Amino acid sequence: MNKSGVGQAIDRVEGHLKVTGKAKYASEFPVENKVYAQGINSTVAKGTITSIDTSEAEKIEGVLEIITYKNAEKLKNFEEDMVAIATDTIAPVLQSNKVHYYGEYVGLVVAETFEQAQHAARLVKFEYSEDRDPAIHFDKLRSKAYKPNEKSDYSRGDIEKGLAEADEVIDETYNTPIEHHHPMELHAVIASWDNGKVTAYASQQMVDDATIAISETFQIPKKDVRVVSAFVGGGFGSKLNVERHVTLAVMAAKMVGRPVQMTVTRTQMFTNTGLRQHNEQHMRIGAKKDGTLTALGHDTLSHTSANLEFQEACGMVSKMLYNVPNNKVTHRLIPMNIQTPFAMRAPGEATGSYALECAMDEMAYKLKMDPIEFRIKNDTQTDLSKDQPFSSRLLVECLRIGAKKFGWENRKMEPGTNQDGNWLIGYGVSAASRNAPYQETHSKVILDMEGDEVSATIQMDATDIGTGSYTIIAQTASEYLGIPVEQITVELGDSDFPVTPGSGGSWGAASYCNGARAACENAVSELKKKQNISEDDEVSIAELLKRNDLSKYVAEGSAEPSEEFENHSVFSFGANFSEVWVDKDTGMWKIKRMVNVGSAGKILNPKTAYGQIIGGLTMGAGMAIAEQTKVEPNFGNFITRSFADYHVPVNLDLANIDVIFLPEEDKIANKMGIKGIGELGITSVAASIGNAIFNATGKRMRDLPITPEKLIMAKAEV
Amino acid sequence: MRPFTYTNAAGQSEALEAVTQSSHYLGGGTNLIDLMKEDVERPDKLIDINNLKHKEITTNENGGLTLGAMLSNSETANHTEVRSKYPLLSMAMLSAATAQIRNMATNGGNLLQRTRCPYFFETSMPCNKREPGSGCGAKNGMNGVHAIFGYSDSCVATNPSDMCVALAAIGAQVEVQSTDGTSRMIDFTDFHRLPGEEPEKDTNLNPGELITAIHLPEPIFEDHYYYLKIRERSSYAFALVSAAAGLQIKNGMITKAGLALGGVAHKPWKLTKSEEFLAGKKPTNTNFEQAAELAMRDAKPLEHNEYKVEMGKKAIVRALTQATERKA
Amino acid sequence: MNELEKWKEKIESGNLSEDEEMILEEMGLSGSSRRKFLKQISAASLSVWASSYFTSDLFAQTMEDLPVNPNILQNEITVNLRVNNMVKPLTLDSRVTLLDALREKIALTGTKKGCDHGQCGACTVMIDGKRKLSCLTLAATCEDKEITTVEGLASEGKLHPMQQAFLKHDGFQCGYCTPGQICSSVALLEEAKNGEASYVTEDLRKTEKNLKLSEEEIRERMSGNICRCGAYNNIVQAFKEVHSGDDEMPTWEFATEEEMKEAGKA
Repeated sequence: MNKSGVGQAIDRVEGHLKVTGKAKYASEFPVENKVYAQGINSTVAKGTITSIDTSEAEKIEGVLEIITYKNAEKLKNFEEDMVAIATDTIAPVLQSNKVHYYGEYVGLVVAETFEQAQHAARLVKFEYSEDRDPAIHFDKLRSKAYKPNEKSDYSRGDIEKGLAEADEVIDETYNTPIEHHHPMELHAVIASWDNGKVTAYASQQMVDDATIAISETFQIPKKDVRVVSAFVGGGFGSKLNVERHVTLAVMAAKMVGRPVQMTVTRTQMFTNTGLRQHNEQHMRIGAKKDGTLTALGHDTLSHTSANLEFQEACGMVSKMLYNVPNNKVTHRLIPMNIQTPFAMRAPGEATGSYALECAMDEMAYKLKMDPIEFRIKNDTQTDLSKDQPFSSRLLVECLRIGAKKFGWENRKMEPGTNQDGNWLIGYGVSAASRNAPYQETHSKVILDMEGDEVSATIQMDATDIGTGSYTIIAQTASEYLGIPVEQITVELGDSDFPVTPGSGGSWGAASYCNGARAACENAVSELKKKQNISEDDEVSIAELLKRNDLSKYVAEGSAEPSEEFENHSVFSFGANFSEVWVDKDTGMWKIKRMVNVGSAGKILNPKTAYGQIIGGLTMGAGMAIAEQTKVEPNFGNFITRSFADYHVPVNLDLANIDVIFLPEEDKIANKMGIKGIGELGITSVAASIGNAIFNATGKRMRDLPITPEKLIMAKAEV
Repeated sequence: MRPFTYTNAAGQSEALEAVTQSSHYLGGGTNLIDLMKEDVERPDKLIDINNLKHKEITTNENGGLTLGAMLSNSETANHTEVRSKYPLLSMAMLSAATAQIRNMATNGGNLLQRTRCPYFFETSMPCNKREPGSGCGAKNGMNGVHAIFGYSDSCVATNPSDMCVALAAIGAQVEVQSTDGTSRMIDFTDFHRLPGEEPEKDTNLNPGELITAIHLPEPIFEDHYYYLKIRERSSYAFALVSAAAGLQIKNGMITKAGLALGGVAHKPWKLTKSEEFLAGKKPTNTNFEQAAELAMRDAKPLEHNEYKVEMGKKAIVRALTQATERKA
Repeated sequence: MNELEKWKEKIESGNLSEDEEMILEEMGLSGSSRRKFLKQISAASLSVWASSYFTSDLFAQTMEDLPVNPNILQNEITVNLRVNNMVKPLTLDSRVTLLDALREKIALTGTKKGCDHGQCGACTVMIDGKRKLSCLTLAATCEDKEITTVEGLASEGKLHPMQQAFLKHDGFQCGYCTPGQICSSVALLEEAKNGEASYVTEDLRKTEKNLKLSEEEIRERMSGNICRCGAYNNIVQAFKEVHSGDDEMPTWEFATEEEMKEAGKA
């Protein structure tokens, strides 16, 4: 057996570099002669810059350049407002005197040292003609909501008819607040120009799209842009696209003729690197007394920026998760003077599942049904929204196996009846589903023979954002070349390498590994062909090189979705169980333990897959605990502007987590049977916690996060 | 950060001599350096006082302790004598920040922690504390974490210290040294001030005065103590509301109570009336609830912090209950 | 000759100093694997992988080769920065924090900038054995202090047991908070030995040395290091193994065939 092949729980192959501090993140590359840039942010939510005074800043020793819209390079700009942004969208900046939101970049200082740049940036004085009525109040702007596109709405059957037929109806609204990704590594870039070519060491999840965005923004050929993201200190969606600090650094490097390093501050991470928008989700569920769903409506109202569009599809889960004949899903957006939102881990599912899975729990309680049985009763093996089968769907197994592991039978149906001292104990469950996409991927393998030993190098422009890409790609190569990972080097994160879709949307593992597999398979089969060896003959890679009299061999390969994949709905499924202890008086609560069951195709490495799941659970717990970004009602800025205001979970917030993987290889999904796991973990976690809090206290907490201040003021509903 | 000159004072007199109108002493730096990065604090000179001697804990005649101002928060909280005589103080100090920050932060510095009001931190917003006369953004803004007691039209900020809440409950004297060579004692209740018309002043220290020690009274709450900190996450967060409770119980009766709330006012909020109410009473839930009612009677919540009234009551009752039930 | 070529030559000729040997060992590169490793690195990838291994800044003695700051500095201070048993005299702007001095002046980028405001713990280093935040420490205040960063934990080519445990228990994902987590964990081992207490310590009046920390105690004491990837449970396992020899592995399992059959029943 291959001890380091696919499915083995090996240690991360890049782990050594990480535990010794030697892994190099974007701002750590030893680029000589570099200078430092500091962005300046607008202090109004909407308005026009009327004057700029750079005189004080210019006096500061070491200042090399101050860039504002007045002297910025002309870049490709959006030709119209409300363009829907994608991962390769241009990132123009400082192109006009208009301000669209509080914190938008209005300038940049470049100086010899970090300290000088930071200081001087404070001294540039902007005056604005301020719009007195910026669009910053979500509640007052409902009439401005618009339908982004035809796909924003979906309907099957007749929702009103379904509700009329129901014995019980749930009609409630759930709110998830603005959230921020906040990877630990601040977005950073070192940009330089050399003979008209750009090199950017940048913290990006999708290298190829980054080169596209930079080249289009600066109107230079794509081949003249090199992006390097060897290590990415977390992304969670915020590093999918090129944010404007990259443009600023590239522009500045051109102007000063030296490499420019720019690190976004933690406060700027709130205003300049994307966000998950506030979603107000109106849920209507109808069910018969026996638990049969008759109707499911999911209407989402959220916001985008004043000039660009991004829509998170909260209602996606409601279209496909349950067997309900009458279904209506809508999405509306309000343009606001707030930064353009962008995808954050499981966009749509993480938030949509809070509304759906809490509403399902409410209905189960109303029906006096066990919430697990209620879900199982409404299971479906067909994706009704597409009228096509799921490639595989083991949701029922997830729920049942999880229930057993968790000890669900000890749950008390009546809230508030399980108490231990000052603690009220609650159990909660929720179902999870997350789209498992898969995209065209290319890779290269370089075989090298020394003595009898073959070593291999895999190259792809894929990234490892903590997801374990280095490791699972090495394991794939090990599997398909038949050599241990110690003899394999994986090189990622360089746009000079073969193109992959990058890390995002849970497609990384399936795409990268199938891509690497293809190159390795090609290497083997090409070497066999040259010597007329049958494909079925088992010959070691060393022997193949030997017979070909080669000490080096390079092969390329690519993988892409099959027709079968296109004809199926490919999703990962899961179930979350939480035991939560709520203090009966103080509003404080804690997670006691969690169980997660995941059906995510072939598990390439249970160790790193476990990491993805507990990581998702932690971020999901964060949604329930305290994460929220608040908009200041008089100024339009974010009042939560640091890690001291925006509380992500700490170690003590978490507790024991049992993770169960279902043994599964979804060959419809792709040849290796892999489905995504990076976003499955966060999906519906907050709902399982919210449902547990209800079970503990009888309080329905429909607005995240569930802070002590809210909980202490909430009234029990039973 | 604005430029500043750095002076490493070899001793106290050198430190005091180095004082200028816009100089700052540098102790642990955990609050000061952060605020300098935020452009909120703008000293043109830092006087490093880490070489000063005040790093000892000594025992007084009445059995009380004197804590050196330059001792770190973790050295203080973990000191055997502090733990055995003032576990309430240790508990409050250990609830604060993180091990890393407690290793850096000094006792003197803890007393001078500035508010966490976001309007104070964000230089583009009005704040009378940061920029007198600019207005108070929080009064009619997002005041969920702000004061319910003792605020003024010019400032609704709260004091963020945990240590100070315990000190208010226990009682203490702060010893300070002035630049003219004299020293004085300030009663802890007079050390911090309410915002009034001068919210830029957090304390009653005179310019250039240096905290050298904190004197604690005879220990009486070592058997019955509790510091309850209610916050948005389980650790590494400032309190929404906190309660420090120390009880002296003899023969089933409370002989003395020390009680203070954090997160509710511009200074640690000593609950003198509740303390007096509890003295001579039995440690029962009913009495605790009455003490809590008494404590919150004058609360005046702002638009977004109504919850603090209820939370304060619950915190008081819980802290007193925990203090009572603690096995001596 | 670029940095990598220099190294290739050095390794080929076996002309390595003790420190260089040590670092290559530490990277798991010994004997023939070194040559192989270098061979494998293609020209295109030089700056990606190679630089992460072979920048001169990883090597102690070359710290002095770093360019002298050419800038005119306001409020210049000088400090002999004693890091990982090496001393580097630096002339700096008084505003430079220890964090920026490490990362930007002496290229010890293992210590991370996660917030720059003392709110995340990524910049944790040990100063005179105590864990502290380098982002809130001015470099100027570090004269005569012994600073240990993540780069200084491995010795004689061997990883520190805590580094080993983090690897084994997968106590990280993206790796960015990891140096801070590890420095914090190493310091915590000492704090436990010294009998230091925490907010969740049951009885503060009871003082004893050589504490065996409960899971809750470990979690509270490690709460000053934020991991956004959410590797907390694995971090706790890693710490436990070194602290108390408790070698419990992460609790993942695969459902059995029988369980699948049972659960699949209608």
